[in-house]
Amino acid sequence: MRTIAITVNGISREVTIEENELLLNVLRDKLGVTSVKAACWRGECGLCTVLLNGLPVKSCMTLAVEAEGKEVVTAEGLYTDERARKLQESFVEHGAMQCGFCTPAFVVTSHYVLSKNPEIDGDDLKKELSGVICRCGTYYQIYDAVMDARKHYRDKNI
Amino acid sequence: MSFITPYFTLPKFTYYKPDSISEALSLLKQHNGKARVLAGGVMLVNMMKERIALPEYVIDLKGIRELKGINVTESGVEIGSTVTASELQQSDIIKKFCQPLAKAASYMGDKILQNSVTIGGNISIGMPSTDGLPALMSMGALLEVRSADSARMLPSSDLVVNIGRTNLRSDEMITKIIVPNAAESRGTYVKFLNASEIAIATVAVSLMLVQKKLRIVVGAISAKPYYFDESSIGWRWDENIKENIKTVADAIGSNLKPISDAVAGSEYRREVSKILVARALKELFGGT
Ligand code: FES
Ligand code: FES
Repeated sequence: MRTIAITVNGISREVTIEENELLLNVLRDKLGVTSVKAACWRGECGLCTVLLNGLPVKSCMTLAVEAEGKEVVTAEGLYTDERARKLQESFVEHGAMQCGFCTPAFVVTSHYVLSKNPEIDGDDLKKELSGVICRCGTYYQIYDAVMDARKHYRDKNI
Repeated sequence: MSFITPYFTLPKFTYYKPDSISEALSLLKQHNGKARVLAGGVMLVNMMKERIALPEYVIDLKGIRELKGINVTESGVEIGSTVTASELQQSDIIKKFCQPLAKAASYMGDKILQNSVTIGGNISIGMPSTDGLPALMSMGALLEVRSADSARMLPSSDLVVNIGRTNLRSDEMITKIIVPNAAESRGTYVKFLNASEIAIATVAVSLMLVQKKLRIVVGAISAKPYYFDESSIGWRWDENIKENIKTVADAIGSNLKPISDAVAGSEYRREVSKILVARALKELFGGT
């Protein structure tokens, strides 16, 4: 048992954890961040993706202690970012989901990808998004939604 | 949500996060045989979930700055063992001087995992699926291996003994990877995956531009990668390589003894390997 400090979606939190707990479980069960989903628990589906100090990582493969002193951002935390809000609207406009279980992970991942390179397209974009799996198979719509949202990430006024 | 089955939880262990190599090494010595080092965690965390690895102590290397750098020195390019696959692909030094490694890194798991996967972790588990090891072997890379009381240079081609078994002692870890004469080399890395993304074969090729030495490594088809240079294939690099690509590929193919399993048969793996060797050579030298 130890108590660690993590910044979750901009808010500093303290949480008591076991050293063998996964970041995924701590986020969902102890910090109430339920946009972080899980299906495979072994690094394959990507539904548990969060930004850890700005980089996408799979939280089922990350120990909670590893996040000590770091910053975690999930789909909830993107609400304060105007571009990410537009990105989420684009998902809705394009019908880029069926059950929606994969949506938070795709939103987090594509937000990272577009912030890095708003000109990305084609196979590069598909490759960047390949770490997340959509069991409903809405990949075409997700691709279109992200392509369409690129303009918001180019817009310097946002 | 609480899952009780082992798959979703990790066994109990004590966690250390040292901030220097020497501290990590003395912890490894103190808990010799009971401790494992954690870098990206991609292998270790899964092995712990499945209870294949049950370390009592986990030593997290991510707090150690000395293990992170990519530098050009007199001895060549030096790569810290916890440099991630994403960092390898973004590094101008790696892109310029260690082309096989830059390309191999793009195959280490998906784009998200690549932010976690480390080069040290990728090679030190000793699995045939490693992308890093064939690339490093083709470049003639050396591994700096340290324990609390010793330091040695291990040629990357001597690392793996058998599936899951390496020449590293339980109190040792890879601290650095050194690619000698990197500035004078050129190379590539190609891979063939089946539909479920299981590697059928991988091929890394490096050419030393100055001494005109060609090295070809075929991985993923056996417990450890196959290494070929001019003496082992009885063929010298010359300007006519374009016309000889098929000969080289056939010579290599006849020296391979690939495994047969549910994913692919031995003969199929051999044919794929030959095609990949030819593809890699064409990519480097042109020709048909
Ligand atoms: S639950 Fe983490 S990758 Fe599937
Ligand atoms: S919408 Fe159902 S998993 Fe993607």
